[in-house]
Amino acid sequence: MGYASPPGVWDGGRRVLDTAPILSVEGLTVALPKGADRSLAVDNVSLELRRGEILCIVGESGSGKSALSGAIMGAPAPGLKVVGGSVRLQETELTGLSERAWRRIRGNRIAMIFQEPMAALNPVMPVGQQIMEVFELHATMSPAERRERALNLIRSMQLPDPERILRSYPHQLSGGQCQRVIIAMALAMNPEVLIADEPTTALDVTTQAQVLELIRELRTIQGHAILFITHDFGVVAEIADRIAVMRNGRIVEIGEARQVLTQPRHDYTRELIAAVPSLAPPSGDASVSAATGSEKKTVLAVTALAKDYGRVRAVNEITFDLERGTTLAVVGESGCGKSSLARLIVRLTEPTSGRVEVNGKCFLTLEGSERRASCRAVQMIFQDPFGSLNPLRTAGATIARAAMLAGVDRRSARALASELFDRVGLPREGLDRRPSAFSGGQKQRIGIARALAMNPDVLIADESLSALDASSQAQILDLLRKLQKELGLAILMITHDLRVAAQISHRIAVMQAGRIVEIGPAGRVINSPEHPYTRELLHSAPGRGLV
Amino acid sequence: MSVRYAWLRALARPTAAIGALVVGGWLVVAVLSHALAPFDPLHSMVPLMTPGAHGPGGTVFWLGTDALGRDVLSRLIYGARTVVVVATAATLTAYALGIVTGLLAGYFRGHVDIALSFITNVVLSFPVLVLYIVIIVALGASAANVVLAVTFGSAPAIFRIVRAITIDLRSRDFIAAAITQGESTWRILLVEILPNASGALVVDFCLRLGYSAITMGVLGFLGLGLPPPTPDWGGMVNEGRTMAFAFPHLVLFPCLAISSLVLGLSLLADGLRQPAGRVGRG
Amino acid sequence: MSRRWFLRKAFGMLLTMLAVSFLVFTILELNVDDVAVKVLGQFSTADQRQAWLQENGYTAPFLLRYLRWLGAFVTGHWGTSTYYREDVLTLIAPRLAASGLLAGAALLVIVPVGLLMGVIAGVREGSVVDRLVSVFAIVTTSIPEFASAVFLTALFVFWLGWLPGVSTMADGFHLRELVLPVGVLTLYSAGYIARITRSSMAEVMQSPYIRTARLKGNPLRRVIMRHALPNALITPVTVIMLQIPWLLSGVIVVEVFFAYQGFGTLLYQAALNTDIYLIEACTMVSVVVVVLTQVASDLMYAWLNPRMSFGSSGRAAGSG
Repeated sequence: MGYASPPGVWDGGRRVLDTAPILSVEGLTVALPKGADRSLAVDNVSLELRRGEILCIVGESGSGKSALSGAIMGAPAPGLKVVGGSVRLQETELTGLSERAWRRIRGNRIAMIFQEPMAALNPVMPVGQQIMEVFELHATMSPAERRERALNLIRSMQLPDPERILRSYPHQLSGGQCQRVIIAMALAMNPEVLIADEPTTALDVTTQAQVLELIRELRTIQGHAILFITHDFGVVAEIADRIAVMRNGRIVEIGEARQVLTQPRHDYTRELIAAVPSLAPPSGDASVSAATGSEKKTVLAVTALAKDYGRVRAVNEITFDLERGTTLAVVGESGCGKSSLARLIVRLTEPTSGRVEVNGKCFLTLEGSERRASCRAVQMIFQDPFGSLNPLRTAGATIARAAMLAGVDRRSARALASELFDRVGLPREGLDRRPSAFSGGQKQRIGIARALAMNPDVLIADESLSALDASSQAQILDLLRKLQKELGLAILMITHDLRVAAQISHRIAVMQAGRIVEIGPAGRVINSPEHPYTRELLHSAPGRGLV
Repeated sequence: MSVRYAWLRALARPTAAIGALVVGGWLVVAVLSHALAPFDPLHSMVPLMTPGAHGPGGTVFWLGTDALGRDVLSRLIYGARTVVVVATAATLTAYALGIVTGLLAGYFRGHVDIALSFITNVVLSFPVLVLYIVIIVALGASAANVVLAVTFGSAPAIFRIVRAITIDLRSRDFIAAAITQGESTWRILLVEILPNASGALVVDFCLRLGYSAITMGVLGFLGLGLPPPTPDWGGMVNEGRTMAFAFPHLVLFPCLAISSLVLGLSLLADGLRQPAGRVGRG
Repeated sequence: MSRRWFLRKAFGMLLTMLAVSFLVFTILELNVDDVAVKVLGQFSTADQRQAWLQENGYTAPFLLRYLRWLGAFVTGHWGTSTYYREDVLTLIAPRLAASGLLAGAALLVIVPVGLLMGVIAGVREGSVVDRLVSVFAIVTTSIPEFASAVFLTALFVFWLGWLPGVSTMADGFHLRELVLPVGVLTLYSAGYIARITRSSMAEVMQSPYIRTARLKGNPLRRVIMRHALPNALITPVTVIMLQIPWLLSGVIVVEVFFAYQGFGTLLYQAALNTDIYLIEACTMVSVVVVVLTQVASDLMYAWLNPRMSFGSSGRAAGSG
C-alpha cells in the first residue's frame, strides 16, 4: 500500500503502539452564544488519543460532541468560541494558532470526515480533482504525480474502476462511494489524527458495515489515531477501543470499550446502553404477547401487490397477512420498496396490480364516500415528526379533526382528543399548543393519537422511529406495545432497523428489491435466518455481539 | 410560539417599521384625500407657479401648479388615492387568479399542471411592458383596462410562486395524513396548504403592490394610463416632462411620491420576510 | 445534453410562439371594425372602411385570416406601417440594432457590478458591506426607471450640466449620450442581480462542502474562488439571461425619456398612433427575443450544473 508499518507491541489481538498520546485535550471549554439553553457547549473536557486506537465519543444530540470536534480542528461552528483549555497535537499547541498556521495543519496532520458524504463534496468539481487538491495544498508534486497518487488512494479504498471515479461528479456516485472518496481525501497526506463525525449515520446498514470495516483497517494496518463521534451505541460496540460518553458538554465516563459496555459506571451510560433496542426479542413483561384469546382474525390481507414506476418495478408481487393484535415488521434497506408498499396499502399511491383486503372487504376498489367511510380502518404514522403535523394547527384541533372525519360530532371529538392525549402519555395542557412547542418524540405521540382518533384496525408505522434518538425510540416502542395490548391493534412496522423490528414484532418480513425474501416469526428470523440477504443484514447490524 | 406574535415582533424591526410607516402614511393620505387636499385637483387656477408661491385669497401653492394651473400638491394627494385603489384592485385580482391556478396546478400536477404552466409561459413570453401596451391599445385606456393589464402581468408570477409552494407542501407528511384520513380535496387546498403558504404570499403581496404601482406609473408616463384629467403620478411626469428644465417641480414631486411608496412597500416586504423564512416549518 | 432535450425545447418554443401569435392576432385583429378605424383613422366613413376591409381580405373568416397572417409573418411580410408609410420589416431592423446596442452597453455594466456587489455581500454575510448592498438593492429596485431618469437628469443635466439631456444621436454616435440611459437601466438591474447573487452566495457559504474545503487546509481566497463561486454563480448567471426580457421593457421607458431612436420609441410611437401592423410585428419580435433568452438560460444552466448534464443516466450501479 505504500505506507510504512508503524512499530508496536501486540496486546491481546490489538496492536498497541507507543503509549505517548498523539492528541491530548486538556480542560477544553467552548462557549455557546448568548440565549442558548446552556452557557457552554463543551465544558472542561480532557481526553487522550494514541496511535492505532479508535476513541469513540458517544452522546445524544446536543451533548456537545460535534462542537468538540469543531473546536479541536480550530473551526468551531459559527457563534461558538473556545474560551479555555489546550489541545496538543504531539508537541504543537493548537489552541490560539493563527489561521495561516492552521492551514498547514488541516488536511495535513489532522483530517476530518463528516456525516452527509454527498453534500460534503463540491457538486460541480470532479471528485478526483477534489482529492488532488489536498496534494496541491500540502505537497509539492507534478500534476502527473498527483493524479497517480489520487488513483492509488482510490484503489486503496477498494473502489472499482478508479479512472472513472476520478472523473466522476459526486452525484454520479452512491453514498458509500462518496464516503470512501472523502476518507481517501482525508488520508491523502497520511495525517496523524483522523476525526470522523457521524460518518456512517446517513448510510445503509450494509454500506455502513463496509465503511466501519474500512475504518477498522485504518486503525489496525495503518496505525492511524481515530476520534470517532457517534450517537449510535451499536456502532460504538462494533469498532471502539475506548469510549467517552458525553452529556451536556461534559465527559461523564471514559474508559476501555469492553469495560464501559459491560460494566458502565455512570447512570447515564447505563441509560444510553439500555435504550438501544436489543436484537434479542424481549421476554417477560415487555414481551409481545400473542393475540388475546384464540381470536385469530386476519385484519389485513395483501395479495400480489405490485407497483411499477415506468420500467422499474418498485413493489413486486407482495403477499402477506396481518392478524388482529399482532405486529409484522417489514425490514429492508433504502430503495427496497418498503415505503412504497406502505403508501400502496393506505392508497396514497394507486397500485399497478394486486389486492388489499381489510376485514375481508376489498379496500382498493372503493371510491368516493364509500372510500372515505372505510379509510378509517387503516391509519398511518409517519417518519418525519416535523413534517407530519400542520404547523398552524393546535395538537387538539388536529386530533379532533381526525375524529370528525371518522363521523364523530364536534363536541365529542374534543373530548376524544383529551382522552387520546392521556392514552399516549401527553399532558392535557398541550392540547392547545402548536407542534413547534413539542419535542420530536412528543410529536410522534400526537401523530399516534391522530391515527387512533379514527379507531383503526391497522396501524402502519412508516419508519416512525428513524428520526428519534434512542431514548425516545424506546418510549415510543413501549407505547405501541401497550396500545396493541389495550386495543388489539394490528401493526405493520416499516423499518430499516432490525433492532426495532426485534423489539416489537411477532413476525418479520425481509424486503429486497421489491420482493419479500423471507418472512417468519421474529425469533426464528433473527436467530436462524434462511435467506442470504437476511443473514447479510443481521451480520451488518453494528454491535451485534455486545449490545 | 404563537404565529401572531411573530408578525408583531417582525414589525418592530427597523426595516419593517419604516416601511409600515411610509405605507401607512400614504394610505392615510389616500383615504383622507378629500380633507387633506387644499384645492380641487381638476380646477385650473394660475399656471406654472413655483412651489411656495401665493395663490388667490391668501392660499399657498405648496408644491406649485402645473401647465394647466392645477395645484400640484392636490393632484399628488388625489394621485395617491388613484394609485392605492387601482394598484390594490389589480394586485388582488392577480392574486385571486394566481392562487386558484397555482393551487390546482401544484396539487393535481399532470394535465392540469401542463396546461396551466403552458398558458403561463405564453403570457410570460411577453416583455411585461409590451404586454401592457398591446392590451391597452386593443381595449383602450381606462381604469378597468389598467387593472386588467396589471392582472395579466402579475398573475403568472404569482401562479409560479403558489405552484412551487403547493408542490413542496404537498410532499409533506401532514398532507399525506389528511388524505389518508379522507379529508376532501378542497379542504386540503384551502385549510391545510394555503394558510401554510401565507407567510411567503404576504411578503410577495407587498412587493407586488409596489410593482403594480410602478406599472401604473410607467403606463401613465407613456401616456397609456388612466385618461386625463384623472390625477395620476405617472401622467403628471408625462405632462411636465417637456418643461422640466425650467419647472422641475412638475416632475420631481410625483417621482419622489411614487419612489417613496414603492420603497416603503419593499422595506415592509423585506422586514416581514424573516418569520416567514421557511414555509410553515413547525 | 441529449438530442431529446433539444428537440423537446425546440418543440416547446415553437408551440409557445404559435400560441403567442394567435393571442396577439386575436387581441388586435379580432374586431375588424376596430382594425379599419385604426388603419384609416377616426374620421373615415363607414363606406370607406367597408371598402378597405373587402379589399384587404378582412371579410374572410377569422381562422383563415389568422393563417394568412401567420404565413405572411413567417416569410417576412410584416405589412406596412400606417404612420411611417414604410415596410415594417425595414423600419424595425435598424431600430432593433440601436436598442441592442443600448441593452448590450447596459449589460456590460450591470453584470460585473451586480455580481461583484453580490459576491462581496454574500461572503461577508451580516457585515456592514452586506447591509449596505442590501439597502442599495432595495432602494434601486423600488424606483421606477422614469423616476430614476428624472433624478439622474436633474442631477447630471440640470444641476451639474455634465451630460446631455437627450440621446437622439442626431449628429452621429456620441458615447456621452449613452451614459444616462445606461445608468438608469443599470441602477435597477444591478441591484436586483446583487440581491440574487448575495443570497446564492450566502447559501453556498453555509454548505457542507465549503466546510470540507476549509478543513482540507484551503485559504479563504481559494475556498471562494475554487469552491464557492462556481456553485454560487449558477443561479445568478441564468437570472442575468432572464433579465434581458426585463431590459426590453426598461429600454422602452428609457428610450422614450431620452428620445433615443430605438426599438422602444418605435413601439411607443406605434402605440400612440394605433399603428396596428407595426405593433404586431414589434410584439412578435419582442416575444422571439424573450423565448430565445429563456432557452439560452436553460442551456447555460445545464452547462454550468453537471447534475443537469448527466441526469440520472450517469448513476453508478450498486452501492458501497
